[in-house]
Amino acid sequence: MAGHEPILEVSGLVKYYPLTRGVLFRKQIGAVRAVDGVDFTLVRGETLGIVGESGCGKSTLARLLVTLERPTSGAIRYKGEDITRLSGRALKAVRRNIQMVFQDPYTSLNPRMTVGDIIGEPYEIHPEVALRGDRRRRVQELLDVVGLNPEYINRYPHQFSGGQRQRIGIARALALRPEIVVADEPVSALDVSVQAQVVNLMARLQGEFGLSYVFIAHDLSVVRHISDRVGVMYLGRIVEIGRDTEIYDHPTHPYTQALLSAVPVPDPEARERRERIILSGDVPSPAHIPSGCRFRTRCWKARERCALEVPPLAVPERFRAQGGPAAHDSACHFAEERRVVPPEEATPGHPPGQPPVPGGEPHEEPA
Amino acid sequence: MLLDVRDLHVEFRTREGVARAVNGVSYAVDEGETLAVLGESGSGKSVTAQAVMGILDVPPGRITGGRVLFRGRDLLTLKDEERRRVRGAEMAMIFQDALSALNPVLTVGDQLGEMFVVHRGMSKKDARARAVELMVRVGIPAAAQRVRDYPHQFSGGMRQRIMIAMALALQPALIIADEPTTALDVTVQAQIMDLLAELQREYRMGLVLITHDLGVVADVADRIAVMYAGRIVESAPVHDLYKAPAHPYTRGLLDSIPRLDRKGRELSAIKGLPPNLMDIPPGCAFHPRCPMARDVCLTDVPPLYEVSGDRGSACHFWRECLHGRS
Repeated sequence: MAGHEPILEVSGLVKYYPLTRGVLFRKQIGAVRAVDGVDFTLVRGETLGIVGESGCGKSTLARLLVTLERPTSGAIRYKGEDITRLSGRALKAVRRNIQMVFQDPYTSLNPRMTVGDIIGEPYEIHPEVALRGDRRRRVQELLDVVGLNPEYINRYPHQFSGGQRQRIGIARALALRPEIVVADEPVSALDVSVQAQVVNLMARLQGEFGLSYVFIAHDLSVVRHISDRVGVMYLGRIVEIGRDTEIYDHPTHPYTQALLSAVPVPDPEARERRERIILSGDVPSPAHIPSGCRFRTRCWKARERCALEVPPLAVPERFRAQGGPAAHDSACHFAEERRVVPPEEATPGHPPGQPPVPGGEPHEEPA
Repeated sequence: MLLDVRDLHVEFRTREGVARAVNGVSYAVDEGETLAVLGESGSGKSVTAQAVMGILDVPPGRITGGRVLFRGRDLLTLKDEERRRVRGAEMAMIFQDALSALNPVLTVGDQLGEMFVVHRGMSKKDARARAVELMVRVGIPAAAQRVRDYPHQFSGGMRQRIMIAMALALQPALIIADEPTTALDVTVQAQIMDLLAELQREYRMGLVLITHDLGVVADVADRIAVMYAGRIVESAPVHDLYKAPAHPYTRGLLDSIPRLDRKGRELSAIKGLPPNLMDIPPGCAFHPRCPMARDVCLTDVPPLYEVSGDRGSACHFWRECLHGRS
């Protein structure tokens, strides 16, 4: 379980992509503010979930965290050292410890490489991790760890199903024994029955390898399931962050409330008990972010102050004194607690808070 | 009964062999009713819908058996010309990906108007006016201006509204929606599902909602048909099914999804993978993944047993499943 030692500290992280016009004389006419001031801390051994809708900047954030992109400004401190300024050998050393699992298991694996080459490729770049003669054995171990038959080492990606390919992607991320794994929508391309297998696998590996996860997804139910803490992103910023029950059972930011209320719950009895907040309109373009609070154009509570003042991500004053689960960081001038996910009622056969039958995740045969 | 699909069989002939995509599917939808067809990829849920709509790719696809009764008439026996008249005017389809379903080089006004010109013989001007009316009805702001815009100029949610407007144009009695909100963000998803439900009530349409999302089903459906390997394995009123599934596959699905209102330890995953349609296991197609499977499941294909008056389950041991013993 999570300790208290911060392993990754992100502060004031910003990534702008310039919008230019002209061919001969390129002029910058604006910027897409994909990530626009993100702060959070990842504690060793925990899972931080990041949720948000398309275009909120969560994938850009993932790429910044694994140093695939350099930020426009801000810092990412890994064990106290700012990795955004590193280059050469020092950068390489850090990258070994922060690995990524990609969304699409169909396009993130090279179709011309065997599974053994794909999972073993990180050793080419970091030969100090495994001696050449030892690599094959290592790869087979990794296959076993992620629940694939070690004999499949010479097969190609197309011989595997989507769920199995995602296992291969996870094995590759683990090859260098990283401390942090950033997973960007790791299960959203998978079928429901297979999704659960991969989620369980990731949870098991976390314990086995002492990993810290940043788990990025749009599916709020999956994120709740796997995360210790959850941050909600909107237009490049985290608008609310806290422990799982703080966000899901005691949300105080209107965007979080709307998002949670919109998620379909697989319980027809809940249809009548639920309160739906239907947001009007679409998300504004990240090239034209509204002044003040960026959510105000879709917020039913917006007042004049919201257009003038950017709300800081902090515990709102009214909750600061009273404490309790509502007292967590929320970037809203008019934060209010509102429960939108109905508390579960006990139904026969499904005692609340306890999954029915513990499932295994056995080895799979190829498709 | 508005739509009554009986014992439908569809297969695809490919170089690798014959894929049996639909193997005896029967379902029915009445006016004003919402039937959810739930299944994972490869379950045959979309192929069934394509066969019903008459938009199956033939070849490689082929309907090898069954009937599709629409208001008592078997659509499969109609001539192409007659079929085309039914499609669009009496039944319409909404697709997952509006961007590829709409024509990129025509304005949305032209595409909506075309429905009235072709099917109703309206003048272009009148058709344009009706297009604007429809766009207003499905909640597109500034419809009078936007009618001249092209599909790519709209957001994903707005495009899906246009597709709904197009399906609705001729006030069909039946709409088949194939994963209508899967490509959309949750907040937009909620807007679109609300719109669909509202329009359905207003026009008393029958709605076949094809989805993989148990949450969406629970939110809107009256009845649900669960598909696996080209067959319906369970069919039930939605409340009954969620309360006590009568098929181990349904039970497995319900247990394997993470819940928003619950923090679980470990998800109970269904072991293994969905079957290859070229090589469907003998007996019950689900038996290699089933925790309840016994000898009979390996050899005998289970019929859809009657669980109660309006419930069926294709499991030899549905009683045990229903009562929670496995």
